[in-house]
Amino acid sequence: MLYPRIIPCLLVKNKGLVKTVKFREPKYVGDPINAVRIFNEKKVDELIVLDIDATEQDREPDYRMIENLAIECRMPLCYGGGIKTFEQASNIFSLGVEKIAVSSSAVNNPQLISQISAQVGSQSMVVVLDVKKSFSGYDIYISNGRKKVNRNLIEFVVELQELGIGELVINSIDIDGVMKGYDLYLVELLRKIVRVPLTIMGGAGSLTDIGALINRFGIIGAAAGSLFVFKGKYKAVLINYPTSREKELLIAENALFL
Amino acid sequence: MIAIVDYGVGNIRAFANIYSSLGISFKIASKLSDFDSVTKIILPGVGAFDYAMSRLHLSGLRDKLNELVLERKMPVLGVCVGMQMLARSSEEGTLSGLGWIDGEVKKFDSSLLNQGLNIPHMGWNNIVLSKYNKITKDLETAPRFYFLHSYYFCCSCADDVVAITEYGDKFASVVNSDNVYGIQCHPEKSHNNGITLLKNFWEL
Amino acid sequence: MKYQICTNCIMDTSDPSIKFDSKGVCDYCNNFKKNIFPQWQTDTAGEKKLLKIAEGIRLEGKGKDFDCIIGLSGGLDSSYCTYITKEIMGLRPLLFHVDAGWNTDHAVKNIEKLVDGLGLDLYTEVINWEEMKDLQVSFLKAQIPDVDLPQDIAFFSTLYQFARKNGIKYVITGGNYSTECCKEPEEWGGYGCIDKLLITDIHSKYGEKPLKSFPVVDVFKSRILYKLFYGFRVLNPLNFVPFVKADAENKLNQLFGWEKFTHKHHESRFTRFYEDYWLPRKFGFEKRRAHFSSLIMTGQMTREDAITRISKPELDEHFLKQEFRYVANKLGLSVEELEQIFGGTNRTYKDYKNNRKMIDFGANIFRFLGLEKRSFR
Repeated sequence: MLYPRIIPCLLVKNKGLVKTVKFREPKYVGDPINAVRIFNEKKVDELIVLDIDATEQDREPDYRMIENLAIECRMPLCYGGGIKTFEQASNIFSLGVEKIAVSSSAVNNPQLISQISAQVGSQSMVVVLDVKKSFSGYDIYISNGRKKVNRNLIEFVVELQELGIGELVINSIDIDGVMKGYDLYLVELLRKIVRVPLTIMGGAGSLTDIGALINRFGIIGAAAGSLFVFKGKYKAVLINYPTSREKELLIAENALFL
Repeated sequence: MIAIVDYGVGNIRAFANIYSSLGISFKIASKLSDFDSVTKIILPGVGAFDYAMSRLHLSGLRDKLNELVLERKMPVLGVCVGMQMLARSSEEGTLSGLGWIDGEVKKFDSSLLNQGLNIPHMGWNNIVLSKYNKITKDLETAPRFYFLHSYYFCCSCADDVVAITEYGDKFASVVNSDNVYGIQCHPEKSHNNGITLLKNFWEL
Repeated sequence: MKYQICTNCIMDTSDPSIKFDSKGVCDYCNNFKKNIFPQWQTDTAGEKKLLKIAEGIRLEGKGKDFDCIIGLSGGLDSSYCTYITKEIMGLRPLLFHVDAGWNTDHAVKNIEKLVDGLGLDLYTEVINWEEMKDLQVSFLKAQIPDVDLPQDIAFFSTLYQFARKNGIKYVITGGNYSTECCKEPEEWGGYGCIDKLLITDIHSKYGEKPLKSFPVVDVFKSRILYKLFYGFRVLNPLNFVPFVKADAENKLNQLFGWEKFTHKHHESRFTRFYEDYWLPRKFGFEKRRAHFSSLIMTGQMTREDAITRISKPELDEHFLKQEFRYVANKLGLSVEELEQIFGGTNRTYKDYKNNRKMIDFGANIFRFLGLEKRSFR
């Protein structure tokens, strides 16, 4: 039986790993290569690495870093950040990355999605949408949560699926780093219209939160940053991840479909 | 020596990294002369069927591979789309497959969505052995591997099915006919289970 | 110097200052017998002393969140020391871990198990990797055997700065006679203290990035400012209780699921590489000689076993070759570049600006004033 995916998500800024709270105050948490190496040793399901200032700085993705990260992964790696052209995507795939993620490009250049899907297959084409609660529902943001996009979330997601995405990652800006649980209402909203694998990010503070997500939605991707990077009430930086036994238990307790 | 066929499709490096860490000699084979002194072949593949088949054709390696696999009976392992290419044809495209294992590739039915299952099939799922095979030895019962695909292999001959996986319905996740092996999931990205399987392939 | 090896332990003439007596026994063994062993108490007398010290620390720490600080690496010494501090001494330590970019998953897991098992609080400090990398590459390029100084500096300095910031003055460490009574000679890359002049000179010659946030509490600061003015005290509880390596490993495993390492210092991937590959092959120094000799002197290892074990590296050739590649990659060097550095002409700290004379002079004054114990060599 297919299991839900539990996915650490790492943010890279200035070549270093950072953790944010509501997309602000990036706190340095160390070297990306070592973190990825440790996650690999912990046998994580898969990994998402997002370079959060590549697009803003209008620069090429850091291919050397991506290559060094990919070498360490014996599990799928999804890379996002600064991907604007097919050539860039192609280069990244050739470095040993399974999936690439786009965010701003999904809004500014949606044709890129069809172009990449046609060549490499939609399964490797991920879109990450950063959303914030609004009066009427949720708004989409780009540029690290600073620029609001004038599109309806539901309509936009339907469009993206038609363009040929393989996975949708939804990132809740409001509860990023807050560690008090996922926005289950947001997932409920999207679950009705999303036909591709869905991954939710933002808010996870404990394995119980992941359990609650699985309990309600079954097969889903549960992504988290702070949860797998911090330990204890003083938020000590210590890479952690459930052991395979803890994962089995978590899924057995919550996955009613099994 | 293992040849990892580089025809512009698939995560060549991931295979190279694993064999390198195991101390097993391998070669990334992109031209004919790369196949000298090769004893086993890995055929990786991701993406669309037609795209992969046309890239293989453009690489100029197709005839050589046919010779090694069909005439010299060299063991070959097709991975993911590489496995799908072993079939005669695929619903995904119009080009013919290699036809090294009798079968067709079909798309997961959209009725899966009614069961809360999405397409592509993405994540860690079990392979359940139908029979003993050298390539799956030393693995735990129903080991988990990472899957990432929207199409699956339908064997014409039930005997060619080595392991099945359940996603909605059951489909063949590992196939073997004579010297030809295929695996739908990604052993190069499935931690220890994948490493064991790739090591088993080398030891055949 | 003609080759000679001690007849009791396995220290040999790869230590250029070693001396042997008429029976061929080295001065490390004789020092242990004469100076360390007689005053080393780990029975009830030792425990009594330890508990008395603990009481003093406890009283001073009343009303504070923590009464002492322990630098925890996940290795045996700091892990067992943490256990003793909490369970035997009854103290409330703040566990402090420094991430210098080379943590192994093994070490991280052990830390997690101790934190959860003992119900203690953990803080970590993450050293800026770009700066750390630059300093490590500088030290490698400097061709001196003291290539692990950047990590030592980072661990020590961050701990002291953090303790000071949080009003803690009792620093508990896992230093111990049981596995360390034979101290590695200084020539083997163990420059004994943090010398800011040496660091600055090496970095100015080979570094490329300014060290903006890299912590340096040099020896003058630590001995004068921290010890004299701030009243910092360092305690090694493992010298007051029975500390037998194998027993300690088993106990931690049984109580917390803590897992042992192949060898000392293997909790840092860089240190493991440095001690098992770089130092022996580039300089001809085997730190394991000192480690195993300590175990011989304290009756935890036979000389025969030590000789067998030291005849080959801890890690196999294939693994070491891959580690070479990993270390090069991580430091932003190509394998060829690291090989070139490896093949360079060896130097010592004396080839660079250093405060050694002043440090030694200061240490002598302190000893004269009774402010510091005499250390061997």
